[in-house]
Amino acid sequence: MDLQELRITAALAYLDLKDEEYETLGAAVEQMLQYFSKMREVDIEGLPPTTHALVRDNRTRPDQARSFADTDSLLENAPETEDRFIVIPNIL
Amino acid sequence: MSSLSRWIGLLTDPTSFESYVKYVEQVEPKIGAFLQFDPRLGLRESSSEGPLKGVPFAVKDILAVKGFPLTCGSRILEGFLSPYTATAVEKLQRAGAVVVGKTNMDEFGMGSSTDTSFYKRTNNPWDLERVAGGSSGGSAAAVASGMVPFALGSDTGGSVRQPAAFCGIYGLKPTYGVVSRYGLVAYASSLDVVGICASSVEITEEVFALIRGKDERDQTSLDVGEVSDARSSSAGSGQGGGVHRIGFVSGNLGLDSGVERAYLHTQEVFRSLGYEVKPIVLSMLEYYAPVYYTIATAEASANLARYTGIRYGYRPEYAENPEELVRKARSEGFGEEVKLRILLGTYVLRSGFQDQYYQRAQRIRTAIWRDFERVFQEVDVILSPVFPTQAFKHGSEGLDPFQQKVADRFTTAANLAGIPALSFPADLAGGLPVGFQLMAPVFGEELLFQVAKRFAESVPPLKPPSYPSPWS
Repeated sequence: MDLQELRITAALAYLDLKDEEYETLGAAVEQMLQYFSKMREVDIEGLPPTTHALVRDNRTRPDQARSFADTDSLLENAPETEDRFIVIPNIL
Repeated sequence: MSSLSRWIGLLTDPTSFESYVKYVEQVEPKIGAFLQFDPRLGLRESSSEGPLKGVPFAVKDILAVKGFPLTCGSRILEGFLSPYTATAVEKLQRAGAVVVGKTNMDEFGMGSSTDTSFYKRTNNPWDLERVAGGSSGGSAAAVASGMVPFALGSDTGGSVRQPAAFCGIYGLKPTYGVVSRYGLVAYASSLDVVGICASSVEITEEVFALIRGKDERDQTSLDVGEVSDARSSSAGSGQGGGVHRIGFVSGNLGLDSGVERAYLHTQEVFRSLGYEVKPIVLSMLEYYAPVYYTIATAEASANLARYTGIRYGYRPEYAENPEELVRKARSEGFGEEVKLRILLGTYVLRSGFQDQYYQRAQRIRTAIWRDFERVFQEVDVILSPVFPTQAFKHGSEGLDPFQQKVADRFTTAANLAGIPALSFPADLAGGLPVGFQLMAPVFGEELLFQVAKRFAESVPPLKPPSYPSPWS
């Protein structure tokens, strides 16, 4: 994978990489992609994809709201709050 | 002692509670199994009655336990307190068992050594210079050092079985879906299962019986034997009946000499127990790891998109705008191995590359379970290595991250095919344990327990010499 592709991929993943990370992670990604290329040896003609280990069909349930009693415990996990609102930087 | 009897009531009696805490305080500084140890907090959430009353157990820090931190070994979840409890943990608490702490792990389950944890190092009780394996290394080490009789872990590509093998204990990866994943932080959703590390087969079996079952909070969960389509019935001959034929994986497996010798010896032991032991070939073996890493990283890149530093977890000191906040939180909050897997997963899912990687891997996954179906026509269970080496050393003397991934070739199969697998302590080589795994058709856990028990009658599991836990 060339540097440009790595930059695009990192941007899609919301990751800012440092210069040295472009080198180390770039090499590691390349090594894995080469390893993945082994999959080309397999004849996949006529094989359907397996998306899940056992369950084939979508399982649905009624779309019903459920209440969660301890909402404070959720808010307490927010890094910064003000009057039960989560604070983020200004949107300009 | 293979049962839980000596552990029952341990934490509900004030005197034995104190001696238990004293034992852990003596052992834990050497091992480093726990990210948090707080049995008093655990006691508050457990039933005061039940078959496991007062029995301590540990939980990998990827499963939610109300009131305890939930870090997944990552900086990005530093300080997060779980608002609720995972179903598997809750079922054990209802049976009276007590969560004593959360165990160390590779960050988000990504690794084979527990060394990618942001927080601390976990040592193998058999040799403190060596890793306990991973990613459930803390859970396996806590069991092996006698601090708990069992611990919960998670197994996406071998993360319960490999540390169990490294630490000389049992590690069960159940059939996909049989244990609810509610409260398990997602890594790769089509592969993740909640697993069990335990000091005996009997304990593994007892814990499994308590935690399994369909859960309305996990749409992919199944009752044992529940057949929802043709796929699960085709490999689902694992219920009932006994085991007569054991197929051992043959071919050039690339095992270390100690593991190789132990593998041959283990086959002999099974022969001497009267099983028909014969070689089998897993024709897709060389593709397991590439297919696994393609699928696992793709799913991980989607699952880990939720970590933004906004609602919870690590937040950078300063950010100009929300987008910069997210990028900084992720770049500073994730470790190198996690970044690598997110990048890989993002790449294989990008338009233009999907056919080449992700779609191809999913189609080969079909060939993999078909291959298992073929093999299970010939044998009742499969015997296979867990890992090509024994516990390796920490740091640069050990296996590098790429070698560790290639070495996952034996364990990832069970996750890709959804079948159950049990890692059991089989031998010692050079003073370190060697473990192998048994794999059965879907829902065939019972067969695994049956065979592992027979084996243990002949070759009882050994304990590391320096940890004289009075209850084990």
